[in-house]
Amino acid sequence: MAAIANPKSPDQRPDKPTNHARNAGLLSIIPGLGQLYNKQYAKAVAFFIVVVSYFAVNYDLFFKGAGAGPGDRGGLWGLITLGEVPGPRNDHSIFLMVEGIVALILLFFGIAFYVWNIRDAYRVGRARDQHLNLPSFQMQLRNLRDHGFPYLMLIPSLILLVFTVILPLIFTFLIAFTNYRYNNAPPAKLVEWVGFENFTRIFEIDIFRDTFFGVLGWTLVWTVASTTGVIAIGIFLAVILNQEGLRFRRLFRSILILSWAVPAFITILIFRSMFNESFGVFNTTILPALGLDPVDWFTNPTATRSALVLIQWWLGFPFIMTLMTGVLQSIPGDLYEAATIDGATIFDKFRLITLPMLLFATAPILITQFTFNFNNFNIIYLFNGGGPAVPGQTAGGTDILISWIYKLSLGANPQYGLAAAITLILSFFIMTLAVIQFRRTKSFKDEDMI
Amino acid sequence: MKMKKMVAGLSTAVFAFGALAACGGGTDNETSNEGGSSNENKPEKIVIWEDIEKSETTKEVAKAFEEEHGVKVEVVEVQMTDQKDKLALDGPAGKGPDIVLVPHDQLGTIADQGHLTPITDEGTLDPFTDAAKSAVMFDGQAYGYPKSVETPVLMYNKDLMSEAPASMDDLYKLSNDVKADGEYGFLALWDNFYFAHGVIAGFGGYVFQEDGGALDPMDIGLNNEGAVEGFEYIGKWYEEGLFPKGLIGESGGQAMDQLFTEKKAHSVMNGPWAVAGYSDAGVNLGAAPMPTLPNGEPIKTFMGVKTYALSAYTENQEWAEMFLQELTNEENALAMFEAYNEIPPVAALESNETITSNEVAKAVFDQATNAIPMPNIPEMGQVWEPMAQALQLVATGKQDAQKSADDAVKVIEQQIQANNQ
Amino acid sequence: MKKQKRINLAISYVILTLASIIILYPMLWVLGTSFNPGRTITSTIIPTNPTLVHYKNLFDLTISDYSLWYVNTLKIAFITMALAVILVTITGYVFSRYRFVGRKNSLIMFLVLQMVPQFVAIIAIYVLLNMLGLLDTHTALILLYAGGAIPMNTYLAKGYFDTIPKELDEAARMDGAGHLRIFWQIILPLAKPIVATIALFNFMGPFNDFILASLVLRSPEKQTLAVGLYNMISRQFDNNFTLFAAGAVLSALPIVILFFMFQRYFVSGLTAGGTKG
Repeated sequence: MAAIANPKSPDQRPDKPTNHARNAGLLSIIPGLGQLYNKQYAKAVAFFIVVVSYFAVNYDLFFKGAGAGPGDRGGLWGLITLGEVPGPRNDHSIFLMVEGIVALILLFFGIAFYVWNIRDAYRVGRARDQHLNLPSFQMQLRNLRDHGFPYLMLIPSLILLVFTVILPLIFTFLIAFTNYRYNNAPPAKLVEWVGFENFTRIFEIDIFRDTFFGVLGWTLVWTVASTTGVIAIGIFLAVILNQEGLRFRRLFRSILILSWAVPAFITILIFRSMFNESFGVFNTTILPALGLDPVDWFTNPTATRSALVLIQWWLGFPFIMTLMTGVLQSIPGDLYEAATIDGATIFDKFRLITLPMLLFATAPILITQFTFNFNNFNIIYLFNGGGPAVPGQTAGGTDILISWIYKLSLGANPQYGLAAAITLILSFFIMTLAVIQFRRTKSFKDEDMI
Repeated sequence: MKMKKMVAGLSTAVFAFGALAACGGGTDNETSNEGGSSNENKPEKIVIWEDIEKSETTKEVAKAFEEEHGVKVEVVEVQMTDQKDKLALDGPAGKGPDIVLVPHDQLGTIADQGHLTPITDEGTLDPFTDAAKSAVMFDGQAYGYPKSVETPVLMYNKDLMSEAPASMDDLYKLSNDVKADGEYGFLALWDNFYFAHGVIAGFGGYVFQEDGGALDPMDIGLNNEGAVEGFEYIGKWYEEGLFPKGLIGESGGQAMDQLFTEKKAHSVMNGPWAVAGYSDAGVNLGAAPMPTLPNGEPIKTFMGVKTYALSAYTENQEWAEMFLQELTNEENALAMFEAYNEIPPVAALESNETITSNEVAKAVFDQATNAIPMPNIPEMGQVWEPMAQALQLVATGKQDAQKSADDAVKVIEQQIQANNQ
Repeated sequence: MKKQKRINLAISYVILTLASIIILYPMLWVLGTSFNPGRTITSTIIPTNPTLVHYKNLFDLTISDYSLWYVNTLKIAFITMALAVILVTITGYVFSRYRFVGRKNSLIMFLVLQMVPQFVAIIAIYVLLNMLGLLDTHTALILLYAGGAIPMNTYLAKGYFDTIPKELDEAARMDGAGHLRIFWQIILPLAKPIVATIALFNFMGPFNDFILASLVLRSPEKQTLAVGLYNMISRQFDNNFTLFAAGAVLSALPIVILFFMFQRYFVSGLTAGGTKG
């Protein structure tokens, strides 16, 4: 109390210790008041305005609903209950859920600001307690610009990411614990929380369990086969192109890079027509010319699978080739010279020098290639829609996990809850893998922590 | 209006953290046409989703309607097969239409999910044929106005075939005869249950047993003795190489059309929608009802009725119904037929000369007497995929008919049960 | 020794020629088909009666909305590219040069979270856009594409900036340059390769996506090429392959051109950005 009665303390150096830190911190329970107490008037006004407008604007969203759906309610209430009255003009569980998540995210930002406000007041108060000179308003601004610069610059990206990555993620997570599916959907019915039912369904219902393991198996085979092939071809061609004395190098490189330059979306559709069993060039021209029988590309699972892997090789290698070309050019020439003197053959040199250097330098990118193919939806979906049919399972013979999830969530008779549960299981796999790998890579190891 | 507040809310919150408020720029003022019930007499406009590339007639009727009643009708082209999914999102979001166009077999599913509202007066359906009327009934209520009726018929190339054969045995013989020349006597997408049903039902299979006017989803007849016989008959055509391998799966339709237009196939089983493409490609097209099966029974094809239905989110039901009655009346239905070969299920037009003189339309009407309306109960949604799988397995010879049929029925039953718990 | 080398080179030419044929064949085939009369698939590369009718049809609005899709896609692609380059380079620069709370983990976190398939959440994106009044707008699509591009591209950009010596920044700071000016005038000009790489990746994005585009864009005249082309070929009962072929050729053109314009930057952009990693 003495401290408040004696606000001019900085130059008087009283014997009694002051409690500005505590007081300012407590006062900022009402944002701005602590700053006022610290005599930072402009800041106090700014904080106050921010908080008041934040509540004024978001009150509806948090407690009443902002009318995203047909009903008049929403906000956090909607997220918890998922609605009470079904019907086309009443509560729509899914709209309520999304609105609730948005409310939750904004609330999180609000709380973060609030905590920062208290900390700020507390810190300034502590500075006063220690009789340090308080920075002027101008200095604070400059301070904000210097220390706040990274934060300020990150805000646009952060907001975009929160709404394009975090919000869908929270939604998927929540849906996994509901009974949302095509015949239990708004407006006729409300969606309800059902706990872990979807997860048990995957493993208890025969057809889902069989499909899950069948699809998982092929997903792994596909990922490994397509990615290692792409990497091997990419490295091989990069090495060949990089030979001393090779002519037409630019021409060859330009041609080979074409399969990357044309949008994959288009090439896959073109391949789909080329592999057509009755009219496609493979069956009508190429295979007969080689003296081979036509292949049933779309109805035989093994044939479709092989075709897919071949196409992915075709599509994927230029990226690796380009990447490796760069690395090759950076390998010091004297390494090879020394090896030549030691009598190493060309293959020794490749195996002992080139390959390790290439793989080591590009490891993080190579990992992303695996995750890319693990989730390579476009090629599977566009080529044969995941077909052909396989007895005893709900997915087709070339469906990988992600295309199965697509069928379960956007196909006929969607099973959103189940699809979400499978998404979570799959995510758990990829995330564990990716985190382990990324953390091992150099850039995150050799850097100082803050 | 709420929308604006929301935008303001988000962007201010965003602004409070010093970021670009630009995200919320595109406020949509158009969406506030929910004003609704108070001035119910004259809505600003009503919106109808028509199938793509088939909207000219509808637009003309809309223009006439606006002139007469002063209510604007906006015709938006949306692929018919996408309308169900789009309505489920756009409806609750307040951006949906008043009228959608859906195949009648989806009516039950969509109505069950609550996206449709029944029409007020069943009496207004009197001008339509009985089959069409029953097709739009679900759960004892009428869910729309029939636009057109479809069922697959035999289409043949008159340059290759002087007249349509009466029995499948004849076609089978012909197919065997021309096989050596790399030609096909007859092609059908029998790996697709829509087309295969005719054969399976002709041999005695059925989807759901009819029980006093209602369908019983617990009684499935797709693996009974007759159905399996049907499966085997289908398998025979593939196995003996009478159908090319490319006739299976996603690109099967494309393969069939290509063979037929290139004069490599003498006849095909297809619906009236295919006529335009075949004629454009220069096929001298003839049409007839499907030939009879070896057991003497007709091929009992699926009949589909494209139906204009009312969105549950509409605020202008009265006006929408009025417009639909006009759109589907005798005169406009005939115009629709002339423009797009949409065969009208209007009773008074059955003997209309314009229609009876059209070979395809006549074939469809004749075939319709043996056709079975596709079940429109929601459980039907569970049938397509397992059946397509089973048919594909039989067609590729990977599994025998009995096992495939049993598997399919098991999956259908499982899914129906799992979903009705 | 020399002989060995010559044999190696000879084998290399054979392999490279073979690879070139494999790469070129599908492209020449689709080019040939686009000049072929009729609507169906054929196996010949050189059409017997070449015609330009399909190209004409593409730009006839009574037959196809192709020209609208084309303009839409180019517009979306260019704006996405610009927005993504700005966001990504700034974010990458901040991650490379500044120390702040959450620096080490946030980037990996986003990168990993982004790998989670979002099909289930398609509905959530729809509802969010509806709340913001952004449904059926190209703005929404651009924001979604740009947002989706941030994590991976930032990772590449950060890797590249890390290779530019920090002494440059410090020297500029001594001369009194502000944060943004250092970034804009000193660092960015040195980072052309990675900027070109990121620009191209993001330009290509809209050409390959048909799922988000068909969700966000509700009216037919606002569609993009990917959705339009896909519908052209996927309709089971009425597809027009030759028209698709012509459409495919023209769609690939802008990307291929841009690709070769930027090609010389790729090697250094990717290697530095991706391997410092």
